[in-house]
Amino acid sequence: MAASLRRPSFTACSSPTDTDDEGVRGTCEDASICKRFAVSIGYWQDPYIQHLVRLSKERKAPEINRGYFARVHGVSQLTKAFLRKTECNCQILNLGAGMDTTFWMLKDEDLLPRKYFEIDFPMIYITFVLKNPHPLKLQSLPDKFLLKLPSLLAFTDGHMLDSTRYAIIGADLRDIADLEEKLKKCNMSTQLPTLLIAECVLVYMTPEQSANLLKWAANSFEAAMFINYEQVNMGDRFGQIMIENLRRRQCDLAGVETCKSLESQRERLLSSGWESASAIDMMELYSRLPRAEVIRIESLEFLDEMELLEQLMQHYCLCWATKGGSELGLKEITY
Amino acid sequence: MAMAEGERTECAEPPRDEPPADGALKRAEELKTQANDYFKAKDYENAIKFYSQAIELNPSNAIYYGNRSLAYLRTECYGYALADATRAIEMDKKYIKGYYRRAASNMALGKFRAALRDYETVVKVKPHDKDAKMKYQECNKIVKQKAFERAIAGDEHKRSVVDSLDIESMTIEDEYSGPKLEDGRVTVTFMQELMQWYKDQKKLHRKCAYQVASETHKPPSTSSPPPGLVSFPPPCVSPVPLLPSASCAPRLCLLHGSSWSTTEKITVCGDTHGQFYDLLNIFELNGLPSETNPYIFNGDFVDRGSFSVEVILTLFGFKLLYPDHFHLLRGNHETDNMNQIYGFEGEVKAKYTAQMYELFSEVFEWLPLAQCINGKVLIMHGGLFSEDGVTLDDIRKIERSRQPPDSGPMCDLLWSDPQPQNGRSVSKRGVSCQFGPDVTKAFLEENKLDYIIRSHEVKAEGYEVAHGGRCVTVFSAPNYCDQMGNKAAYIHLRGSDLRPQFHQFTAVPHPDVKPMAYASTLLQLGMM
Repeated sequence: MAASLRRPSFTACSSPTDTDDEGVRGTCEDASICKRFAVSIGYWQDPYIQHLVRLSKERKAPEINRGYFARVHGVSQLTKAFLRKTECNCQILNLGAGMDTTFWMLKDEDLLPRKYFEIDFPMIYITFVLKNPHPLKLQSLPDKFLLKLPSLLAFTDGHMLDSTRYAIIGADLRDIADLEEKLKKCNMSTQLPTLLIAECVLVYMTPEQSANLLKWAANSFEAAMFINYEQVNMGDRFGQIMIENLRRRQCDLAGVETCKSLESQRERLLSSGWESASAIDMMELYSRLPRAEVIRIESLEFLDEMELLEQLMQHYCLCWATKGGSELGLKEITY
Repeated sequence: MAMAEGERTECAEPPRDEPPADGALKRAEELKTQANDYFKAKDYENAIKFYSQAIELNPSNAIYYGNRSLAYLRTECYGYALADATRAIEMDKKYIKGYYRRAASNMALGKFRAALRDYETVVKVKPHDKDAKMKYQECNKIVKQKAFERAIAGDEHKRSVVDSLDIESMTIEDEYSGPKLEDGRVTVTFMQELMQWYKDQKKLHRKCAYQVASETHKPPSTSSPPPGLVSFPPPCVSPVPLLPSASCAPRLCLLHGSSWSTTEKITVCGDTHGQFYDLLNIFELNGLPSETNPYIFNGDFVDRGSFSVEVILTLFGFKLLYPDHFHLLRGNHETDNMNQIYGFEGEVKAKYTAQMYELFSEVFEWLPLAQCINGKVLIMHGGLFSEDGVTLDDIRKIERSRQPPDSGPMCDLLWSDPQPQNGRSVSKRGVSCQFGPDVTKAFLEENKLDYIIRSHEVKAEGYEVAHGGRCVTVFSAPNYCDQMGNKAAYIHLRGSDLRPQFHQFTAVPHPDVKPMAYASTLLQLGMM
């Protein structure tokens, strides 16, 4: 499907492409709700997520919570490794960030990069502000939250909220030219080592579109790292069912071809101009978690069927690729 | 309480020998006041930040920890809240708010008994404080609520829900057009109407649901308690359940009234897990239950799938209709712990009431743990035992009308799994054990059995034969959780030849209700 160059405006909420993407946008809320639920049970700490998404009334299955724990842990480990290698003299671009709280969490740990960018569909951010119009609620957010009511108008106009350390950009990741323009307007540097994170993002665009994005990322920065979390091993029955289930929710895994195996995930990174690439499935990652952590989280909820967790985890992977930054030792970063 | 990975620097206070300087104390108080202001303005993370700074200057002030604990509660950091409250109490055993904070943290973490202890302490210290008393009573109510008490695995004799129900006085409104019992009895018509009613996603009137569930609970009219080990065929000679004697014919014998009828086969199904439409499909493929088409369902009827109510009432209905030809064995999901998390309790509460759930819980406790076919094939949900030397007689003697304990034969019957290697291992599930082919062989030899049939584990093909044919797994929930894509299976056993015949089947469509749609979160209770 051809990437549309249409810019979604505040009023036009129903164009064909808008509806197509609606299913994908829905996954943003799903992921945030699942994360918040896991936090509420005690899987990890995140005092910010409660401001961004509601608490699910339905209980999420224990294997889902453990899966999210591993995901959040894995991405966080790699991110912090990058920050340490670059001594925070870097940028982070969170692609398809949705209602992510990483910026605030890093701030608490004094691990902020020079600048942190979040990019997602404009509708995601507009919807958030629309859902949280009550002044009292916004006032209860810490000062640092930028999405206050007056800013909505600024956002809908240029689809950007910019500040020195933090920017929120509404853009379609399939429209590289537009993305690049907006990033430039927000003073993104091409000289700083840059980390790009994509959590369940690339799979929603065609292999061609994601390759373009990956190529652009590899070419835009002197030194860079890309973290990709998404499906893998999708050729089997479990994968088929996942694809069908998502399709029924109007969510097309357009890029599932590249999710065939760990090998294909590594390949797609290497063939997009990245110099080194690694990939592990989440069951492997889970088995490498520190014992104390595993004991802690496994005692939070009793899992009745390990097979469900194993199947789930074997169908998701954490991949990372680096380019340049040899003085920094970026290549050495591993989970 | 273990902390989350990487304690935040604010929490790591080094032990100090010298008391802090006077200036530091003053500054700490100032910081605390600032923190309080942030707290009042609902800026909790700044509140936490400033409390932490105060603590750094003066690490022995219980109030700082108590206040920070409350700020953590507000930001849902229950682990940190608990740790701070505990520290506050350690520092000052008389600091009442510390107990409040710890109780609130424990409530949020679902540890109601621990919370109750702290509320008890507060009430003791402040016997005239209305708020303390109220919190204690509320917490006490939760603890005493049977669902939660059972979750903590108590052994006390509970007052029977069945006994306290007054079903007679329940009325059915004229507008209700659904199935009803005829003179309080389950009939073939009732069951047919029920299944169609359920297929159309309608609800059985609660009076009928109570009738079915409580009738199932009633022990059979024998002098002895219902057998934990059911024999099949049922006893031919005396009313007291015994293993059939050697003189019983090799064909499957069934007692129906006072006349005998021999039958061809019996069908054994594994886990069904609330997948009602797949259950209907089993009856479609294999025929409805009857005296000539007996069934055994090997546990895990509920949870995960969101049509658990429909499944369980259908199974109970058939049990009442064909008490000697339709058998239900208990699975690990016929327990309170599992029902709380995996959706059955939530589903019953959503479709009926908490009391209805209590009733189901009680009926589950009555379910037998194992069934023996022709003295040759033993069926149980989980598997064999953590120790050697368990006999059928031991199984029969298990006091099973309770929530399963953490270990022991009752726990093993519901929870264990086979493993390929000899011996026993710690279970990957964290409860019971895994047992090898040698364990199976020894058990079968000692008890003069041919093989066991169990369920409990999802299998891609719906069944699996292990331990050289001595340990068979059958699983009857296809495409488990709408995710796994597995086939399901059921087993035919014929009286003439007790070797298992496997029949596989795949999932059928069902209305758009996700698995675990009714699983509710505990956290909506008992917050400060």
